[in-house]
Amino acid sequence: MFAPFVWMFSTSLQPGSEAFKVPPKWIPTEWMFSNYHTVIFEKEVPFILFGWNSLKVAGLVTIGQLITCSLAGFAFARLRFPGKNWIFVVLLSGLMVPVQVMIIPIYVIMRTLGLIDTHWALILPWITNIFGVFLLRQFFLTLPKDLIDAARIDGANYWQIYAKIALPLAKPSLAALAVVTFTNTWNNYFLPLVFISSKENMTLPLGIRSLFNVYGGGNIALVMAGVSVAVLPVLIIFLLAQKRIIEGMLRGSIKG
Amino acid sequence: MSITVQAEPKKQHRSLSDKKLEAITGYLFILPTVLGFVVFTLGPIIATFYFSLTKYNMLKPPQYIGIENYVDMLADLRLLEVSRNTMVFSVSAVSLTIVFGLLMAVALNQNLLLPSFIQNIFRSVYFFPILVAMIYVAMIWQFWFHKDLGVINYYLGLLHIEPIRWLGSSQWALVSIIIVYVWKNVGFSMLIFLTGLQNINKDYYEAAELDGAGSLQKFFGITLPLLSPTLLFTMIINSINAFQEFDSMIVLTGGGPGDASRSLVLYIYEKAFRSFDMGYASALAMVLFLVIMILTLVQLKLSQKWVHYE
Repeated sequence: MFAPFVWMFSTSLQPGSEAFKVPPKWIPTEWMFSNYHTVIFEKEVPFILFGWNSLKVAGLVTIGQLITCSLAGFAFARLRFPGKNWIFVVLLSGLMVPVQVMIIPIYVIMRTLGLIDTHWALILPWITNIFGVFLLRQFFLTLPKDLIDAARIDGANYWQIYAKIALPLAKPSLAALAVVTFTNTWNNYFLPLVFISSKENMTLPLGIRSLFNVYGGGNIALVMAGVSVAVLPVLIIFLLAQKRIIEGMLRGSIKG
Repeated sequence: MSITVQAEPKKQHRSLSDKKLEAITGYLFILPTVLGFVVFTLGPIIATFYFSLTKYNMLKPPQYIGIENYVDMLADLRLLEVSRNTMVFSVSAVSLTIVFGLLMAVALNQNLLLPSFIQNIFRSVYFFPILVAMIYVAMIWQFWFHKDLGVINYYLGLLHIEPIRWLGSSQWALVSIIIVYVWKNVGFSMLIFLTGLQNINKDYYEAAELDGAGSLQKFFGITLPLLSPTLLFTMIINSINAFQEFDSMIVLTGGGPGDASRSLVLYIYEKAFRSFDMGYASALAMVLFLVIMILTLVQLKLSQKWVHYE
């Protein structure tokens, strides 16, 4: 089950001439940590820049979603306003629209705005997320009504109730949403493939694919070193927050 | 009745301006989400539908041609193969994921006597692939599938099996992609099943044992029926994912050889962003939308049932 990752890691440490030979070598005879150095500081493929681009895009999308989803989730759960229920149902229907159905018009919008081949094309359309709204609404519904009424009587306005009472209590749900959104954006290949064309704007998945095009025929160890570096942050986040991630993903899957 | 009577006076205490304030706050709070939805979801769906009725290459404004794109689909032989691939891929990938996921969950559930840290290691190892981007997973497997130097053919060779041209032959290309899908997604299904298994009341099994039921009888008589809502639900989730699989195909085979491993999603992408035939791609996207919508509606219905079940 884990063998492909073991192979990836061990291959990434082998000299280019020895990697990818028959029989497969699971433990390198010579430990070439320099492969990592080569990949990261290679001029042809600006690896650090790709990493930074990925971090920027995934970070901004995650922060954006945490704000928009928690605001909307709070409103749908705990504020009364006309039309609330049908607006929510209409939004929920957006969950079943695959990205391929929206991508052409979004491309047209981005082209009109002159945002093709910029990170904005990867950020703006995904700044809110109906699934996240749903997740947080479900959480805010569990907060006792009295808590909010009491704060209201004490003279707090709705913004203060949201920011000072509801949000701090929602930390576990916010963390679950953050992890799911961050990994999905960090891992996304389709969107950068559509929108990004110049090397300096590429995110890691696209960049590492170009690494393959540069070295794929010759030095597979270097390609695997690149993949290892890209997988590493996910592994670290996973080890740190394993329980929460599994719970969050399971909860996410149940509703969609 | 008494509850409403009691609630009435409380409501009247709220002044009109307070109600207004609450409503305005509510609208402001949902504004970013609603705006995002209108501009980037609802608008695009309508636009895609409109584009599907036009000839559009992005250079000239869309030109209305009625249902011609939809008529063209009927005569598109590539679409026929692509749809067949999508069906074969989805059905086999989903059923294999579920069968293996279930077997693994049952096996792990039997061993609940194992120390909990070992169980946790199992859970992690099976869960991890789901978090790693499909593109990286596919890049690793791309080397594994190599005909002469790949890990898989090497071990098959030890079993005296002739080397297989995994990615290069139309016979095996789609199979390779199915293998990668199952490997990546089986852990997630397993975890869902494991949760389902642990919710089953142990009394049922004890009662069955008293009646002298064997383990197979217990599996088919108790486990499977009680797990069926979870099973159906996992099936729908996986079908929606499998229907939209893109990354592994573009990395492993690029849809080839010929169209042997090209799915509907990949076909849409190529029509739209390689041939810039946006009108036809939009029509294909509408068909995809319809299929996904049906699958999702079934899922919603099932998950209502599922929640009710517990």
